[in-house]
Amino acid sequence: MTKTTMDPSQSQSEKMTFSVLTSSAPIMAPRLGKLALTGRKTLSTPHYIPLTSRGTVPHIAHDMLRKETALNSLYIGLEDLGFRQLPAHQYLDSIRSLKPDIAIGLADIVYGREPGVKRRAKMVDRTHAFTQDALERLYGRSVADGQKSTTTAYFAPVLPLDNAQQSLYLDDLQDELKSHVSGLALYESSSLAQIPESLGALPRLLLSQPGGPHDLLRDVSLGGDLLTLPFVGECSDAGIALDFTFPVASDVNAKANGSASQPKALGIDLWSADTAKDVSALSEGCQCYACRKHHRAYFNHLLNAKEMAAWALLQMHNYHVMDVFFAGVRESIQRGTFEEDVLSFNHVYVSELPQRTGEGPRLRGYQLQAGPHKRGPRVYGRLDDVSQKFAESQSSVATPDTDASGLEHHGFAKKV
Amino acid sequence: MSADPQLKAMPSALTLHHHAKCSTTKARASTLDLPHGSVPLPIFMPVATQASLKGLTYDQLRDTGCMLCLNNTYHLGLKPGQEVLDAVGGAHKLQGWDRNLLTDSGGFQMVSLLKLATVTEEGVRFLSPHDGSPMLLTPEHSISLQNSIGSDIIMQLDDVIATTSPDHARIKEAMERSVRWLDRCIDAHKNPETQNLFCIIQGGLDLELRKQCCAEMVARDTPGIAIGGLSGGEAKEEFCKVVDTCTGLLPEHKPRYVMGVGYPEDIVVAVALGADMFDCVWPTRTARFGNAIVSAGTINLRNSSYANDFSPIEEGCTCKCCRPTDQGGLGLTKAYMHHVTAKETVGAHLLTVHNVHYMLTLMGAARQAIIEDRYPAFIRKFFSDIYEGDKTKYPEWAVGALRGVGMDLLED
Repeated sequence: MTKTTMDPSQSQSEKMTFSVLTSSAPIMAPRLGKLALTGRKTLSTPHYIPLTSRGTVPHIAHDMLRKETALNSLYIGLEDLGFRQLPAHQYLDSIRSLKPDIAIGLADIVYGREPGVKRRAKMVDRTHAFTQDALERLYGRSVADGQKSTTTAYFAPVLPLDNAQQSLYLDDLQDELKSHVSGLALYESSSLAQIPESLGALPRLLLSQPGGPHDLLRDVSLGGDLLTLPFVGECSDAGIALDFTFPVASDVNAKANGSASQPKALGIDLWSADTAKDVSALSEGCQCYACRKHHRAYFNHLLNAKEMAAWALLQMHNYHVMDVFFAGVRESIQRGTFEEDVLSFNHVYVSELPQRTGEGPRLRGYQLQAGPHKRGPRVYGRLDDVSQKFAESQSSVATPDTDASGLEHHGFAKKV
Repeated sequence: MSADPQLKAMPSALTLHHHAKCSTTKARASTLDLPHGSVPLPIFMPVATQASLKGLTYDQLRDTGCMLCLNNTYHLGLKPGQEVLDAVGGAHKLQGWDRNLLTDSGGFQMVSLLKLATVTEEGVRFLSPHDGSPMLLTPEHSISLQNSIGSDIIMQLDDVIATTSPDHARIKEAMERSVRWLDRCIDAHKNPETQNLFCIIQGGLDLELRKQCCAEMVARDTPGIAIGGLSGGEAKEEFCKVVDTCTGLLPEHKPRYVMGVGYPEDIVVAVALGADMFDCVWPTRTARFGNAIVSAGTINLRNSSYANDFSPIEEGCTCKCCRPTDQGGLGLTKAYMHHVTAKETVGAHLLTVHNVHYMLTLMGAARQAIIEDRYPAFIRKFFSDIYEGDKTKYPEWAVGALRGVGMDLLED
């Protein structure tokens, strides 16, 4: 095995090349990049990776996904393919057999509470050991040339701890392990501040829990390259259509600068009765499939009728909004106006996504998965339970949910 | 029975072109021109109960070749209600579907879904489930709602009772009342130039009542004719007798719709008995439970035996799911469907696409067979595929019904 010398602005494995395009300091600053994987369409960063459930983007059928969305990457949780205790070496076996373009290394993460001092030390030791072991078994000297996992790029985890606590591990990543690490997986945005300069050329995948676009902009401003957006699916399920652009559209900006203007909402709650007769698109001028084909009144109806199409169409819309958002982010960085564009965005839009008011889909597999960042304790047989509920549920709701006056008003019948 | 109905000339917003008639059975192949496009008959109509076909986009539905689907007046009357329908401009605009819609009148749903619904001469009386107030749904309400919906085919409100009811007097009353309600529906119908009102033949399993009903309703000259009150759990022999009797009395130049039917076998036989149009929730409902319709019957993809089966749902099927990727399909395997079915909503979407496509392809193949005058051979192949050529397993009702129209299903 030969060590490859790397251009400081470029990291590569046989499978993957990541080029940082902006000349600005690689750490703690927004940056543009190109992630090129052999045989795949190049991904311009910053970008997002859609989360999946059992390998599917929730609610979007494959034909619609290919024809009507721009999604070109997927985050797949291995636990979706059968949840159980997974010995570390079996994870590696899975990488070998499934051949993902990118594999995220195992990390020892504590969820739901602050780990204590001893626990933190253990997290680092284990993660360090997982990483060393994985890189050796996938790419190391002991692996015969034809057997190396050269088609998979390995992203090493950076723990949600401060720098001093994981310094031994980070040192090793910069030195001995560097040649086999193609990227970094971070669990919280503050970890972006901890990346040693010598690892600055590696793409950074952020598995944090952004609350909305404001958080994303912060993560991008700290140098995040690839982001995951659990809030998108949550909004779709809640009947909320995202409605924001970055940079802020000039007409919206002008309005916002007018006196006494209210901050603009980040989304529209389609459960709201205000939308019942509203035949306008979800977002004005939006070119997504849902907006080209349908209007708000239909969404309000679908949600009230608990029809699955609501979620399918909202997912298409919401991901389209994010496509446009990230394209705007990249252009803004390119132009060198990112900082002021963020200020203006924060000024115009409220910081929180709309509150969920209506019911979401029935409980299904993917809803039990809190995302890649929160693999909480799981229970055997849970998916079976869900599928059972799904199977037993009736197809439609046929009971009026209004009173006699409502029915009369609907023209359904008259009071006698 | 209304002795001398005031018959008014009924405009029609459809044209039926006959292409062929089977030389053995009563099967017909035709094209039905409706305001939102031409529909090849015989046809299966998928049911988009609440203005949505179970998660599918309308482009996915178009891809299956569907030209005509159902909405339910009962459901749309509750949600979103007439006011919204009027404001939006009807159900086509509500759901973004530019092909044809047929709406059921709501009578069947009223009686089957609402407890304590009673039928009087005025209409269906029921207690508002929320506040218990007594309410009345009349033929006029149903037509007014269907006018607001703007469906291409609208159905009369009929007095529906179970075919299995032992109360002959009640069955007779329901048939006669359905005729009287048809007159009220014709009177109430505001858009006969753009919406086709279909009458619904009632009369339970009593062939004499069915004959009387046919005579009365045919005289009223609606653009199309439905045979109702079936699909209620009656014996298949009885079902076939009713369809056969009615089609024998119906004019050749009008489309015939057998409501709520059914399974592929029922439809293939009913086509031989001279029926043209069918609807059923079964293909789309069963998809959500993981059942795929294939030529051998149905298979449940949740079964673990499919976990490592990398063949398509049905070999040679041209639906989006089964078609190989090099032919523009998704090339999905049984193993993959097993992985997502009944677990992800997309599993339901994909199987719904397959099942609707299967039904429409079946109808297309039946139609082609009728045009080429080989429908009996088509039926034999169809049953042979399901029962793996074992004629001892063929259902007696199908053998009997087909014998009644001049065809021996057991012949080679």
